[in-house]
Amino acid sequence: MPRQKKSKGLSSWAIPAVVVLIALAAYFSLHQGSADASLRTVQDLDPDLYYQDANSLRGNTYKINATIDSSLGNSPFTGRLFSVDLNQAVSGAPPAILPVLIPLNLGSLTIQKGQHYLMKVKVVDNGMLEVQEAIKP
Amino acid sequence: MKRSLKTKVVLAFLSGAVALNLSAQQPPTPTPAGAAPSNAEAIHETGQQYKEGNALSGAGDNRVIGKQALVDSDMAGKQALLNTKLNTFIAFFNNPLTGTQFEKFLNAPPETSDAAKTYRERISTIMDLLSPGNATKENQDTAYNLLPKASEFESDANICTTIHDAVYAAANSRVEVQRLTDLNQTLEKQREVAEYNNLQATRDVPISPTAVAKGDEANNNANLQAERDARLGPAKRELDSVSQTIEHNKMEIATSEAQAKFQFQALILQLFVQRRYQHVIIADRFYRALFDDGDQSIETFQKMAENLGYNADAGQLKVTAKGDPNVAGAAGSGGGAGASTGSNGSGAGVGNTGGGMDGSAFSASGMQFGVENASVESLMNAVSSGMRTVSKTFKTLSQLDGVANEIIRDVDEGVTVYKYLLSQNEVEAATAQLVSLWTKGEYLPSVRLLTQDEKRSSLKYAQLINKLVTASNSGNIDTLSEVVAEMKKQASDFDATEILANIQATKVASSMHIAQARVAASKGDLQTVQTEITRAASIWPNNPELQSFSTDMSKLSEQASPQVQALNDFDQLYDQKNFRQIFDDKEKYIAAISQSPERQGKLKEVLTRMQEIETSIMRSQEIARRGDPAGAWEGLEITSVKYPDDPKLNQMRADLTTEAPEFVHDLHEAQTYEDKKEYGSALAWYLRSQSRYPMSDLAKEGVARVVKEIIPDAS
Repeated sequence: MPRQKKSKGLSSWAIPAVVVLIALAAYFSLHQGSADASLRTVQDLDPDLYYQDANSLRGNTYKINATIDSSLGNSPFTGRLFSVDLNQAVSGAPPAILPVLIPLNLGSLTIQKGQHYLMKVKVVDNGMLEVQEAIKP
Repeated sequence: MKRSLKTKVVLAFLSGAVALNLSAQQPPTPTPAGAAPSNAEAIHETGQQYKEGNALSGAGDNRVIGKQALVDSDMAGKQALLNTKLNTFIAFFNNPLTGTQFEKFLNAPPETSDAAKTYRERISTIMDLLSPGNATKENQDTAYNLLPKASEFESDANICTTIHDAVYAAANSRVEVQRLTDLNQTLEKQREVAEYNNLQATRDVPISPTAVAKGDEANNNANLQAERDARLGPAKRELDSVSQTIEHNKMEIATSEAQAKFQFQALILQLFVQRRYQHVIIADRFYRALFDDGDQSIETFQKMAENLGYNADAGQLKVTAKGDPNVAGAAGSGGGAGASTGSNGSGAGVGNTGGGMDGSAFSASGMQFGVENASVESLMNAVSSGMRTVSKTFKTLSQLDGVANEIIRDVDEGVTVYKYLLSQNEVEAATAQLVSLWTKGEYLPSVRLLTQDEKRSSLKYAQLINKLVTASNSGNIDTLSEVVAEMKKQASDFDATEILANIQATKVASSMHIAQARVAASKGDLQTVQTEITRAASIWPNNPELQSFSTDMSKLSEQASPQVQALNDFDQLYDQKNFRQIFDDKEKYIAAISQSPERQGKLKEVLTRMQEIETSIMRSQEIARRGDPAGAWEGLEITSVKYPDDPKLNQMRADLTTEAPEFVHDLHEAQTYEDKKEYGSALAWYLRSQSRYPMSDLAKEGVARVVKEIIPDAS
């Protein structure tokens, strides 16, 4: 039975492939860096403040670092409603499970339970948090 | 018009109501010695015992007291009414003599038959024939012959025959007087002869012309005396006999004429008393024709009348009449009898209205007429007294004739007035007028010719008066009010203001007694309660407050029953929503309510509710024992929403709150924001509470509810 010939070095198609990979890596690296840059200037949401008086925060934009808890509802006209568990730095703090609305313009965002996201949210009417941007850290 | 019916009834009521009070407070009337003990005595004794501190023996005493109070009140009321009856329509319409007679008159058809017309024509003809100027001998004979014919008619009641017989008897007496007069003239001549004979007999005639021997003179003189006596005896007897006959005849003449006059005067006065004024005039004119000596005095009759019999034991026929100057001239003086012509009309009255003259009375002019104690004996007494009174009233027959004529004229005028008042629908005044007319001239043509239709209104008014009296006697104020309203409707001149005001006052008096009874009841004074209630009922039997008081008293008495007490407690607790207490004593209420179907539904509702609460509590206690205070609390919270008033549930829920404070707090916050429609915040709180207690139904339901609000079309 003939034995397969063992490769001695890079083949002719390997080099372009490496180049493409490097290019892609550079692209994603550059792209990721710009998202981080847009959230970097946004203030973190203080959950206590939010719970105490969400109305006073209306119109403000905050950043939250949260894990998708569960899907609460899905509307073809309004968007998707999720509960997210805030990842809080202070241990022993009361739980902060917040509702966030993913509007239709972010419909392409794939969101599943347990996913970790950095979200830019805006406090809208009734104290609802509407997601303006969401990236995975 | 006068203070007539309304005032009297009002007074009766007022005095009755007042009397009720007074009678109840007056001491019992002492019982005559030897009489059987009365209720009053028994009450008195009972009262004494009560005063002395001995408790009354019970319901029997109360009944006696109540019964006596009722009798006292009733009698006082009726007495008060009776006292005012005599001078009112009420007395007139309700006494057995006048009332029925007047009612018969009101229902009688008019006397328009040919026979009645003929009768009236004959009476009129007789009166014309005997009238001054026409009373020739021929006319008197014609009138005399018409009397039996006039008497053929029933309405004459044979009075014309009586007059005819009286005239005949008087004429006979005149004939007898003439005969005796003629006889006396003859006897006078006989007496003259007898006197002459007697004179001649006194002259001495010697027995013997021979000379008397000496010594024989005494014997001779004796013989002469005997001869003289024998001669004078017959002549003297004849003279005495004739003289006695003459004197006897003179007395006979005097007696016969006086008797004839007296009998005729008695007849005339009797006819006047009977109100047969046309017959009075006829008889009076015959009297003048028969006794044309110019003596019209009735002094003889007056003397005889004074001696008329009077049966004191028979009692008094109380016929009280009162003249009303607005209706007719006053008849007689207040305290006695008399005749006069009033300023507002004319009238004649015979009778006495008190002032010591007992006996009957009769008013020919007054509209008010009352009779009591009617019996044969008392009627005789009445006639006797009436005749005496009439004889005192009139001094001559001419007066009687004039008054009779005046009454006839007055009645005719009254009939005209009556018809006018009827046309004005002034039934009360018209009825008063009719009563006056009937009383004065029941038998006069103008009255007898009133039609049934013309009398119908007065009849209905009289019937209403009867109803009024019945209602007032029975104390039925409601009926009395209805009758008054009906009377007002029928008679435009009936002023009901006063009587209605007094009816109201009577109602208030009754209610005051009930108020007193309530006060007494609150103090447990059952004697006073019963007395006051009896008084209230006697004043106004249909007082609706009596029924309510009775109901209240029944409730009070029933409160002594444990079963009723349990039912009352149940009702009270149920109204207070104290279902826990009902549940705690459920055995008692189940037993009591088994006899009260209307409460069984409520009890079932209470038990179901409490069963649910108790189940919830037990379940929560079990959950808490497993170390799940939030779950335990939530179970009670869900139940308390449905039953927020249960104290045990609320207490336990409060206790558990301290064991799961964050969860409870988060949930409350969520509910608060949900109520404010701040659904974003509410959802955040619900999510947080759910994170604290993932098994929470309230949190889960809250999340679902709020999500539905945020995105209604969520899938």
